Amino acid sequence: MLEDYRVIDLSDERGHLAGQILRQLGAEVIAVEPTGGSSARRLGPFAGDVEDTERSLHHWSYNRGKKSVVLDLDAPDGRAALHRLIAGADVLIETCSSEERSRLGLEPHESAASNPALIHVSITAFGSTGPKANWAASDLTIQAACGNMVITGDKDRPPLRVGTLPQAFHNAASEAAAAVLIALHERQTRSGLGQHIDASAQQSMNQCAQSMMLAEPTNAVMTTRIAGGANLQGIDIQLMWPCKDGHVSVTLLFGLMIAPFTQNLFDWVCEEGFCDEAARDKDWVNYAVMLLDGREPVAEYERLKGLLTEFFATKTKAELLHASLTRRVLIAPVWNAEDVLDSEQFASRGYWEDVEHPHLGPIRYPGAFARFSAAPLEKLPAAPALGAHTEAVLAAPLGTQALPSHRAPPPPIPRSTT
Amino acid sequence: MKILDLSWVMAGPAASRVLADYGAEIVRIESETRPDGARTLQPFRDNVTDPHYSGLWNNMNAGKRELSLNLAKEEAIDVLWDLVAWADVVLETFSPGSLARMGLSPDAMLERKPGIVVASSCLMGQTGPLAKLAGFGTMAAAISGFFYPVGWPDRAPCGPFGAYTDYTSPRWFVAAILAAVEHQRATGVGQHIDFSQAESAMHLLAPALLERSINGRTWERAGNKDLVHAPHGVYPAAGDDRWIAIACTGQAEWQALAEVIGRSDLGGLEGARRKQRETELDELVGAWTRQRDAVDAMITLQASGVPSHVVQNSDEVSVDPQLLHRNHFVEVAHSTQPGGTTIVEGTRFVLSRTPAAITTGGPTFGEHTFETLSEILGYDSDRIAELAAAEALE
Repeated sequence: MLEDYRVIDLSDERGHLAGQILRQLGAEVIAVEPTGGSSARRLGPFAGDVEDTERSLHHWSYNRGKKSVVLDLDAPDGRAALHRLIAGADVLIETCSSEERSRLGLEPHESAASNPALIHVSITAFGSTGPKANWAASDLTIQAACGNMVITGDKDRPPLRVGTLPQAFHNAASEAAAAVLIALHERQTRSGLGQHIDASAQQSMNQCAQSMMLAEPTNAVMTTRIAGGANLQGIDIQLMWPCKDGHVSVTLLFGLMIAPFTQNLFDWVCEEGFCDEAARDKDWVNYAVMLLDGREPVAEYERLKGLLTEFFATKTKAELLHASLTRRVLIAPVWNAEDVLDSEQFASRGYWEDVEHPHLGPIRYPGAFARFSAAPLEKLPAAPALGAHTEAVLAAPLGTQALPSHRAPPPPIPRSTT
Repeated sequence: MKILDLSWVMAGPAASRVLADYGAEIVRIESETRPDGARTLQPFRDNVTDPHYSGLWNNMNAGKRELSLNLAKEEAIDVLWDLVAWADVVLETFSPGSLARMGLSPDAMLERKPGIVVASSCLMGQTGPLAKLAGFGTMAAAISGFFYPVGWPDRAPCGPFGAYTDYTSPRWFVAAILAAVEHQRATGVGQHIDFSQAESAMHLLAPALLERSINGRTWERAGNKDLVHAPHGVYPAAGDDRWIAIACTGQAEWQALAEVIGRSDLGGLEGARRKQRETELDELVGAWTRQRDAVDAMITLQASGVPSHVVQNSDEVSVDPQLLHRNHFVEVAHSTQPGGTTIVEGTRFVLSRTPAAITTGGPTFGEHTFETLSEILGYDSDRIAELAAAEALE
């Protein structure tokens, strides 16, 4: 779908996902790497635990189907080549510090001057300007800054990040890909012009705090962390339970939309003799309100949680997942990477892409992130070897060619007046 | 761009919210007989559990218009068809098959309007043995592998807060929708998008999936520890439940940290050695932070270039100078909240030439029913009265 567009990906591991998404959608993506390769190539883990710039699983994951061009950006020639590439591109993605941006002549006004149609994306920890723009940051510290961390974890231990894998920059990079398409749509349908997109990992990751950072500005109670659940104005709402062979996520919530599912669960629990009819027939629509205003004692809710613990202990993850489909309850298993890879669901949808690697054979990757009925996403080859496309890309007359007419931006169209 | 938005709760509305920020015209469908679950979720303005006071609802739906339709009524389905004729994009998050039962399958829409983009998002995708798994992003996060590695090695997983994939998947969903719109612009061909929240989210775990399939290892819970770098953790500061995150990923950062905590003798420890002595180094760093105010410690560490940040809750996030600089909290008009305004979060990325416009909070029930029917669909008052009499607008 984006086959007519060219992306220069000057980012590192913090931004590679943005170019990967655009590549999956069909764009040509040229990864510009320093001599010695992108820092992502030195990030473990490595295939077969062999530390090698061609074996980083992180680099492999987010650079499939890209072209690799090595440029020495400390040398005038390298910088000139970069600018020639940018002059012929539709999109530039970078994760530079403000000092690097200025050294490379990549301030947004500079890139816009050389290519007015360019969509220039900066992905940084806090945004490219502002009081923290130059702060030292890492994925962990951004998760602390954005509000997500304080509500994640066990209440008697330090707050936690999400996952063993970095997430904050991936949130920003995926958001940046969406932003590129917004800017591209504007360019193609209205102005014919590019613009600068300033993405902030702090703000993108803040989305995952589920609007709870609005508590103080709207005079609401701030929440805090409880393991496997949420804190509702001081009441611990439990959303995860141990079961016979692991753990399950259970949406045991209330209100008009969810009450029918909660009812189905208690029907089942009662059917199997783990609770009486009085517990089964509670007013699940208004249950949260009743807990908050005291009509339902918190001790009674705690007792129900205990009954459920006994009930779930008799069931396996697979039985509970099956019940989600047959009994209309809201339960999902806590799966690990092995479970995910073994799942019939993803296999039956043809989600996995087995990609040929030289000397290593086919390797299984997450595949198309969506299925398009008219323009299905193509399976992508492995990440490029360092510099594999340097010669071919630099030999092409980039930046001097006129835009092919079919991708030439149309004249501006007046805004509709509805 | 005109969008008929049949999505609800979070994953769908979070996507259309981004498009609304940048100028898309969104008509949301909701019925008071089947309210959107986001209206029942905290935080609530002034702690009032009113369906129009949910901060989450307002944040997900800022800038959208709302038409009240009871989709159980045949007459309401006729209105939907008129909106399909108006829209460039139809967005829906029903469980697979629900639209078809209403007579509005993606195929039927494409047959009547070949250029339309119909975007369906659900937990597991429209096909496969688990297609019908109903639920929320908490469940998609659990089943796609996000719960398992979040937590402490000696305890049960605690999982990310809330419905993690409801927030990560909309980025891919927006990209998918806009790519299809671009395809339509270039070729005239519309299409159906079958989007699985779990499948998009799994890209965030790709290296862990490769590690399993290539190296046979499963990533276990590790608190805040990094696989390679140390020190890397969240350390206690003075006061109750006060914490500071500190992460050394390079030698210079560690040397600076060692100096700040008065242990420059250890500044020469290189990466692998630091990882080996992680427990000891964590204790040294914690002993230093514990005696200090979290903000003071952060300022001292930042002055030396050490990646660090206070673990902030809403009271600090809402006055974070960087977020204020980025206009992260925006006061917008609201028709029923005190003072006629509420606060929502701003756009998370800044477009330099066509900035976002965020002016209203989430709509109240059927707030724009009349104007949608009369202005967008051109219905006259008789037609609207008929719909009302048929209870289709409830």
